[in-house]
Amino acid sequence: MNRINQFFKWMKGNKKYYLFAALLLISLQYFRTLTPLFIQHTIDSVILGKESNLPIFIKNMMEADTVTKQLFLVAVIYSLFALMRVTIMFIRRMINAFYTERIAYNMRNTLYKKLQDLSFSYHSHAETGDLIQRCTTDVETYRVFIGEQLIEILRLVFLISFSIMQMSRMSNEMTMISLLITPIIFTASFVYFLKVKKIFKRVEEAEAKMTTTLQESITGIRVVKAFAKEKFEIEKFDKHSKKYLKEDFNLLKIMAVYWGGTDFIIFIQYCLTLTIGIYYTVNGALDPGQFIAFLSYVGMIVWPMRQLGRIVGDFGKTTVALDRLDEIMLKESEHDGDSTNTPKITGFVEFENVGFQFDDDDVPLLKDISFKVNRGESLAIVGKTGSGKSTLINLMIRLLDNQKGSIKFDGVDIKDINKKHLRRNVGIIMQEPFLYSRTLYENIRIMNKDAHEEKVFKAASIASLHNDIKGFEGGYETMVGERGVTLSGGQKQRVAIARMLLDDKPVVIFDDSLSAVDTETDIQIRTALKDHWNNTTMFIITHRITTAMEADKIIVLDKGEIVEMGNHESLLRDDGIYAQLWDIQTNVEYDFMKLDKGVE
Amino acid sequence: MEYFEEEEYSNSKFDMKVWYKIFSYMKPFKRNVIFGIFAAIVLGAIDTIYPLINKYAIDEIIETQSLEKLPYFIAFYVFIMITIGFMVFGFIINAGQVQQKLSFALRKDAFKKLHELPFSYYDRTPVGWIMARMTSDSRNLSDILSWGLIDLSWGMLMMTGIIIVMFIINLKLALITLSVLPILIGLSIYFKKKILKAYRKIRKENSKITGAFNEGIMGAKTTKTLVLEEQNFNDFDHLTSKMKRHSIRAAMFAGLYFPSILFIATVVTSLVIYYGGIDVSTNVISYSVLYLFIAYIGSFFEPIMQLANILARFQQAQASAERIITLIEQEPEILDSPEVIEKYGDAINFKKENWEELVGAVEFENVTFKYSKGETVLANFNLKVEAGHSVALVGHTGAGKSTIVNLICRFYEPTSGRILIDGSNYKNRSIGWLHDNLGYVLQSPHLFSGTILENIRYGRPDATLEEVIEAAKLVEADNFITKFKEGYETEVGEGGARLSVGEKQLISFARALLADPKILILDEATSSVDTKTEKSIQRAIKIVLEGRTSFVIAHRLSTITSSNRILVLENGIIEESGTHAELIKLEKRYFKLYTNQFKSKVIEDSKNG
Repeated sequence: MNRINQFFKWMKGNKKYYLFAALLLISLQYFRTLTPLFIQHTIDSVILGKESNLPIFIKNMMEADTVTKQLFLVAVIYSLFALMRVTIMFIRRMINAFYTERIAYNMRNTLYKKLQDLSFSYHSHAETGDLIQRCTTDVETYRVFIGEQLIEILRLVFLISFSIMQMSRMSNEMTMISLLITPIIFTASFVYFLKVKKIFKRVEEAEAKMTTTLQESITGIRVVKAFAKEKFEIEKFDKHSKKYLKEDFNLLKIMAVYWGGTDFIIFIQYCLTLTIGIYYTVNGALDPGQFIAFLSYVGMIVWPMRQLGRIVGDFGKTTVALDRLDEIMLKESEHDGDSTNTPKITGFVEFENVGFQFDDDDVPLLKDISFKVNRGESLAIVGKTGSGKSTLINLMIRLLDNQKGSIKFDGVDIKDINKKHLRRNVGIIMQEPFLYSRTLYENIRIMNKDAHEEKVFKAASIASLHNDIKGFEGGYETMVGERGVTLSGGQKQRVAIARMLLDDKPVVIFDDSLSAVDTETDIQIRTALKDHWNNTTMFIITHRITTAMEADKIIVLDKGEIVEMGNHESLLRDDGIYAQLWDIQTNVEYDFMKLDKGVE
Repeated sequence: MEYFEEEEYSNSKFDMKVWYKIFSYMKPFKRNVIFGIFAAIVLGAIDTIYPLINKYAIDEIIETQSLEKLPYFIAFYVFIMITIGFMVFGFIINAGQVQQKLSFALRKDAFKKLHELPFSYYDRTPVGWIMARMTSDSRNLSDILSWGLIDLSWGMLMMTGIIIVMFIINLKLALITLSVLPILIGLSIYFKKKILKAYRKIRKENSKITGAFNEGIMGAKTTKTLVLEEQNFNDFDHLTSKMKRHSIRAAMFAGLYFPSILFIATVVTSLVIYYGGIDVSTNVISYSVLYLFIAYIGSFFEPIMQLANILARFQQAQASAERIITLIEQEPEILDSPEVIEKYGDAINFKKENWEELVGAVEFENVTFKYSKGETVLANFNLKVEAGHSVALVGHTGAGKSTIVNLICRFYEPTSGRILIDGSNYKNRSIGWLHDNLGYVLQSPHLFSGTILENIRYGRPDATLEEVIEAAKLVEADNFITKFKEGYETEVGEGGARLSVGEKQLISFARALLADPKILILDEATSSVDTKTEKSIQRAIKIVLEGRTSFVIAHRLSTITSSNRILVLENGIIEESGTHAELIKLEKRYFKLYTNQFKSKVIEDSKNG
């Protein structure tokens, strides 16, 4: 039952079209089995003066006094009948395309929306390639299933049934004989496609390996060349390419056996039906026209039987695809049951005994974090990798939710603030920002689509980006991302800063966001930013101690706890971790200064 | 993943030269081609003969009311049955092999070529383009030249056969039947082209949608933080709506195609029924002739549709062929002279016995370098580096650091001037000789799928496990490697995806150390790693550089200060050159570059102090 629900839930709103198309399809199969009867009618009734097997109402339309007139009517009615048939056929195909594409469209949109709404922790564990595979290949599998395979099964079953029905109206014995071998055809096909899946998989794996080798060798061409490993790479690729060839050949062999073998079996059935048919016709149990009609009907049974076995044998794919899609769809969205409150946020931030721990972890990432930052102040957060800096930031914009204590903006607990509203007010500039595949101009303007050109240029200037952009061939119209130029880490960071500058946010967080910018530019940008954001509350996570030292307040995190808090001078005096970090990072520079002085 | 778009159709008309080249690839397996075509022709013949046998049964058995000839009929049928079984087998196995072998051969040659091409080729050719040549193009092409070609022979033979038999049996009915042939063919080609075009649009939209999904997932965090969900969704909806429209349009063409062919065929059948029927009723012909013609009209569909399909796909396949041939015939701009290859071997087969030992002195003599676009990066550049010395290259992006390094590696060659290694022009030695003695540690380390062990061994496959571990220990990679459950046998994943950036860097150091190159190029990364790893990396660099000629595109002060010589580059010119102490004394660019970081506080502090 669950399976059936799973199949139909994506069809919402399209079921009635589906049903209608199915009815049209069934009627088409009936019409198709009528066509051999026109020939039968011509030969048996019109020419030989025997029984016609056409339904009465069609037969009646072709009554006439002379053979020529009758033949003329047969030709006209047959053509008109065909016209009706192909018209219905076209209509059915269009309806089919219409709902299939609508279902696919809904699936894609639903999945996309869902993916965006899934929580941050989901995304940090998810594998991109796998997710994309689900959203494309699995959707396509279902689309083909709904739009083609399911329909095809229906078509084949009814074609076979109607053929049997028409045949049995002419001769029961002949019908039985015509069905003798068909179960074998079906079974052979079904079993074959059930078995061949494994081989298919092996071929796919071999091909994937070959493609990976190719891709790695090309992306790593510098390494290959620098180590003079061309021969090694060529041999490696050759090995994988041969392996693929071998697996593919194995598949080919059994494919050839299958097609050749089933063709052979199918012709046994033909031979059987015809031989006995001839016998009956000579005996007079069957009319010549009926014999010719049987020739057609055998074809309408044996070939569909093979096809049916093939489709049924290949069935499993869709259930697997739907299971994989459900894994995404059944996950909870992070906006489910979110608060609708949108209080004004000015930039006064309080942490009170905040603690956080992942469910599957036994050590808390943050413990008992408390501090206050007033509007317009800056707070630097320093600590080793893994000390909890990023977690703290993620809590502030509710990418993660703290289990203990409370975080307040202007006195309101963030859990009572709408997530999107919160994020609109708290800007974050990440260390590895993501740029969208649009032009640079659009990327900078992404949060403020109405921003004027001068504003965009100004933001880019503040972020020391304007000259870089002018250096590109396409200037601001240069495409970035998947289809465009690859920006350096530092350039991406500066784009992220520029885009933040176009939006006035009361709180801005720098998550090591100038790490890839050279020191000279770093200073330049920070100086410019200080002027621009003098009323903004700033949180600065940094590895560069020289950046941290300029903040109004500095906290040092270690193993999830605040171990030191103060400003540069007081922390140096305390001689703790901060002072230690200061020593490590400025050590060489101090030597350098000594040298410098020595020279002077 | 890259999503690559390009023109799918060739602009030029039929290009014999391209096809000739492709056909010459098929020579080694022409047996398969011939057998495949043979099987196809036999099958086509059987399709023609088969209704004749039924006609025989009607005329000789049913009409004569005597079962005497039934055994002949059965014998005929058994013969056909067996022939069909074998020929279908032969058809598939041969066509399939042509397809597989052709794409194998194309891939093989293209891959080999890719490894002969100089680095500049990769600078201007996106990876996606290359991948498309190697995968979809070679598949497209080999598909049409195997299944397509053999299907074509089947269809052509069957059509010719049917036409001949029709004319022999009954001229009038044959003419009636064939009168629609041009319409059928014309209609088929028209629809096939339309359908292919529509599908091309769908594929294009589809790759955009895949790209959008990719972006949605990769950029999920950014989207959340910038609250761009709705905006992105609207953009996405725009794409999927377009996809829906295109798909329905394609379905419309496909939905019109088959029914219209079917209708035309039925009209012809009606004509045959009428005219043939009259002749039957006046005993001019037997009704078996009527049967035969109706059966033939039915079997006409498939070859015509096949034919149209192949013709329509042909243009596409020619575009594929052109692109693959372009790749395979690409002339490497950097190639050893025949004399050099004669003596030292080519890039694939080394003649190590003739190689001189490389000591490591490097000299640039009046080197000028221009990119193919024309912009000059280096002009009359001179530099002499003693064997075993380390050189730090310092300067802004575009100052020429990478160019110098690429020239040393002979990824590029000087436009004019010479580069001497151990006192002789490096063009007089083979590229293999240089690269075999060269080590290169990249800014973003590239690892290959496989184990850590295999990756460290990359430059020296014969190294023992002890040597590998020793190298790893020296660069402090052993610590984290042994922490993995599988140790050195840990799979690194595609491109090393299962390791962190810092770990990958340390492994690439171990790899370089184990290869023990005479000349080492190091492109230092700026990406921030945690302090501990940073310390390990700094120590690893020191160890790797020790005792060999090295060129470092440097960012770390520790690397710079400990090198024998620092070059400060600006616009392809050495602005300053000397040791750390010397350059500080100058108080110019270098001094400024590294005092900047402490402008705000330390300098004042230390100067006052």
